[in-house]
Amino acid sequence: MKAEAPAAALLAEIARGDRAALRALYEQQATRLFGIAQAILRDREAAADAMQDAFLRISQRAAQFDPARGEAGAWLGAVARHAALDLARTRGRELPTDDPALGDTVVAPEALERVAADAEGRRLHDCLSALDEKNRKGILLAFVHGLSHAQVAARLDLPLGTVKAWIRRGLLQLRECLT
Amino acid sequence: MIPTDPQDRDILVGEYVLGTLDARTAAELEAALPGDAALRAALHAWEARLAPLMVLAGPEAPPPDLWDRIEAALPGPARPAPAPKRRGWLDPWRGWAIGASAVAAGLAALIVIRPAPEPPRLMTVLLTQRDQPAWVVEADPGGQLRLASLNPRRLEEGRVMQLWGLPPGATVPTSLGLIPPEGRLTVSTGGLRPEPGMLIEISLEPPGGSPTGRPTGPVLFIGQLTAAGAS
Repeated sequence: MKAEAPAAALLAEIARGDRAALRALYEQQATRLFGIAQAILRDREAAADAMQDAFLRISQRAAQFDPARGEAGAWLGAVARHAALDLARTRGRELPTDDPALGDTVVAPEALERVAADAEGRRLHDCLSALDEKNRKGILLAFVHGLSHAQVAARLDLPLGTVKAWIRRGLLQLRECLT
Repeated sequence: MIPTDPQDRDILVGEYVLGTLDARTAAELEAALPGDAALRAALHAWEARLAPLMVLAGPEAPPPDLWDRIEAALPGPARPAPAPKRRGWLDPWRGWAIGASAVAAGLAALIVIRPAPEPPRLMTVLLTQRDQPAWVVEADPGGQLRLASLNPRRLEEGRVMQLWGLPPGATVPTSLGLIPPEGRLTVSTGGLRPEPGMLIEISLEPPGGSPTGRPTGPVLFIGQLTAAGAS
């Protein structure tokens, strides 16, 4: 992917302490990464806090990015997601989940088509499609919106114990399918 | 406790990447990562497996002041890149579609080294018609404007370069003076208040400058002032 080349090169510059490269990376990625954080936190102020934390981590850990292991965009997305998840956890996930439509677009059948944008996404799409519907929905809600087991259980109207087991089983099936 | 059974470990890492681990277990796993290569390998594999799902979170514009907050939180002052890195930080311009304003703000962090910050500074990089960076302009709202060439070149005989400013909404540019051959200039902008959005341009003129008070020759370089967040 052409768009990946600059981010990977910028990370190499950032690893050498180049603040201008960090700024350029921010300009390039902030809208996407903020969207990822906001989907988890659903609170722009909290998402901004997560982004601040994410860019501190990026500036400190840029040297850990290894282009041989994956795309820079995925690495950056993971940093932003974990910064947002950490914040969600420290706030006891006291984040708005009362929106009855929360996650609807994520679990809609057409959303999966967007995942299948490239070869890897296509494989994941096919493997997710093979999962039982509630396993799939649980995984999507947890990944995109950072919902806890309890929140997924409430959202899908399932017992908590069932959700935990189903998500684990879904992950196992995914791993086998993607091998 | 991080389990010892390989399958349990791997699923635990999968749950970590998914985001469903509670804070304590997540912290335990993070603490174990640096000393456990197999655990790190499992983490990278799970991140790669699930990464395509990130597209499901749609893009959203962050608050406009977010970069300033991030930069203020970064440890240490913004410092210029050491000389051998110049080629490196110029790389983004070569074929990369990064907005000139971002570049300008980045350059501000590299070029502006003054002990006392005087916020807010304004910056731009003047580009050639082929979008090559040619000049750096820095201005403060008080009316001082500094211009420096990135790659000085000789002009044809009998021609000078003249600097102009065009504030947002204005239709006629105001002359900011002639640019000396060495390619550096500090001027007071007089009645013209530097502000974000102001166009800065350089035109080619006869000796002594434009006879009409407006650019008469071709505009060689142009850029737009933006606020520089660096300090």
